[in-house]
Amino acid sequence: MPIVSVRGLTREYQQGAVTVKALRGVDLDIESGEFTALMGPSGSGKTTLLNLIGALDEPTAGTVTVGGQDLTKLSRGQLSDLRLNQLGFIFQAYNLIPVLSAYENAEFVLMLRGVPAEERRRRVMQTLADVGLAGLENRRPNELSGGQQQQVAVARAIAGKPSLVLADEPTANLDSKTSHGLIELMAELNRTHGVTFVFATHDPRVMDAARRVVRMVDGQIAEDERK
Amino acid sequence: MVFARLVRLAYRNLGRNRRRTVLTVAAIAFGLTMVQLMIGIQEGSYAEMTRQAVSAFSGHVVVQEQGYAEREDSDIVVTGTSAVVDRIRQAVPDAIVAPRLMLGGLLTSPHGSAGVALVGLDPVAEAEVQHLDEKVVEGEWLSGDGRSVVLGEELARTLGVELGDKVVYMGQHNGATEVSSRLFRVAGTFRTGATELDAFGAFVDLAAAQEAFGQPDVSNRVTVHLKDPDTADAVAATLKDRLGDRSDLAVLTWREAMPELYALIRLDRSTGNVMLVILGLIVAMGVLNTVLMSVLERTREFGVMLSIGLKPTGLAATILLEGVTIGVLGAVIGTGVGLLATWPLVVHGLDYSGFIGSDTMETGGVAISAVIHAAFEPTRTATYALGTIFFTALAAVYPASYVARLEPVDAMRHV
Repeated sequence: MPIVSVRGLTREYQQGAVTVKALRGVDLDIESGEFTALMGPSGSGKTTLLNLIGALDEPTAGTVTVGGQDLTKLSRGQLSDLRLNQLGFIFQAYNLIPVLSAYENAEFVLMLRGVPAEERRRRVMQTLADVGLAGLENRRPNELSGGQQQQVAVARAIAGKPSLVLADEPTANLDSKTSHGLIELMAELNRTHGVTFVFATHDPRVMDAARRVVRMVDGQIAEDERK
Repeated sequence: MVFARLVRLAYRNLGRNRRRTVLTVAAIAFGLTMVQLMIGIQEGSYAEMTRQAVSAFSGHVVVQEQGYAEREDSDIVVTGTSAVVDRIRQAVPDAIVAPRLMLGGLLTSPHGSAGVALVGLDPVAEAEVQHLDEKVVEGEWLSGDGRSVVLGEELARTLGVELGDKVVYMGQHNGATEVSSRLFRVAGTFRTGATELDAFGAFVDLAAAQEAFGQPDVSNRVTVHLKDPDTADAVAATLKDRLGDRSDLAVLTWREAMPELYALIRLDRSTGNVMLVILGLIVAMGVLNTVLMSVLERTREFGVMLSIGLKPTGLAATILLEGVTIGVLGAVIGTGVGLLATWPLVVHGLDYSGFIGSDTMETGGVAISAVIHAAFEPTRTATYALGTIFFTALAAVYPASYVARLEPVDAMRHV
């Protein structure tokens, strides 16, 4: 059974008197362990699709099933639980909590899940080491470079061992060297830990690393290529 | 565990814009300091008014004839007053018992005449409870000779009399058909600051007033002055029991005997409370502004927190915690500083004499000292401190409900 199953997914936005159709009946299945890139020009619907898969937005029509659960039938609280327990998010602008240290940001999800302190500490320290941030645990986001902040965001996304990580333009604000390192890191996590990644990206380096590339145009899937 | 982390998050958020937090807490603390000062002065003036009214009129407990409270007719008297006084002294040995007989009549002198309230009293007891001897501005206080009268300063001026002059009291009392008269010699004049008393009051020995009344051993009121005013209710209950055989007598506490004064204080306190609640609402609006600004600035951040699984209720709790923390800090600092600022006014008092040009001032028909000593009132102090926390928490409810309704994707688009 695919970890993500999207059927007839439509999302319309109202901008004044104009109805913008961001997604127009998208069908998509993503299997567990895939490393998928959603490619396409701006406005093609990549981020909208990612938000709908991540239970951050509600579709106008169609269904999204994640881990066997139809998101359109879940309450706000159940959607929060799903995001907390099954999903990890990486955003373009890092979106770390500025008053928390790198360690506390990475720990936040585990803390919300109620993981015991000792177990939490062990997992967070290991994850931060995995993403290359050993020794920087106590720094706050404003004391880290852009690349390091995104590494913290990756650590936060994977520390809870989610079944699916959704990354929206994760390399857009990074220089090429940092981007390369981050892509390598996520590919490594995919290979070694079997974490499923779905990216929305313009970055050809991500496309090169991805084992599946879904091209979107005008809110529809134009091409779905498996390498 | 989650709650502890949310508390830490709330505290760190408050530290994020330290200047804004400090200013908000300072505004609340300053407002509450002023409120506590005002409460102290207000309660001090009530205490002074009560003290003066109690000593001048009813005592903490008063024994009087049934019906006197309603009509205040000088013909309604406690017969066998000395026996009543003795029984009260036995029941409450450390109280001062002061019987009073108040007669309305005419006082004449060779130079004029004036209406007068002739008050017969025990000079020794009244010197202790009312300190009337200290209010004598010319001459001396009553010596118990039965012939002397001490006149209000204004009354003496009206009558055109000086020390040693003779005045004649004329009145019709005790159901008499004819006017009786009695001669007094002016022993002194007094000034209390209470307009009516200074213009119409005259003090004589109780026995002399009884003679003018035409019946010995009577009084209108037997006032009982206690060392601890808070025991008034208990003492009244005891006296009701001890004087149970005198069904003609009524035993009242000062609140029952002077309902107007008690109501006046309650009304004034209520008015003050309304003003303070308005002040509280203004403070709350300030807090609302601060918390809302801080929330709107962080909308994107809240979107991220929601997206990684924090429940909307957890987010709302964080905002409420921030508001409550601001309120608690403001309340603790404001109350502490307020009490410290009130302390010198408790000890040394606040001197209004420079403003009013007199050592006394009249309020609620009672002359009180122009130096008002503030008083601590723990219940009101605590109420306003807790009220401040309540209002600041209330001010945080709207921002908290705002974040609870946020949709992650909309919040993250917020700039």
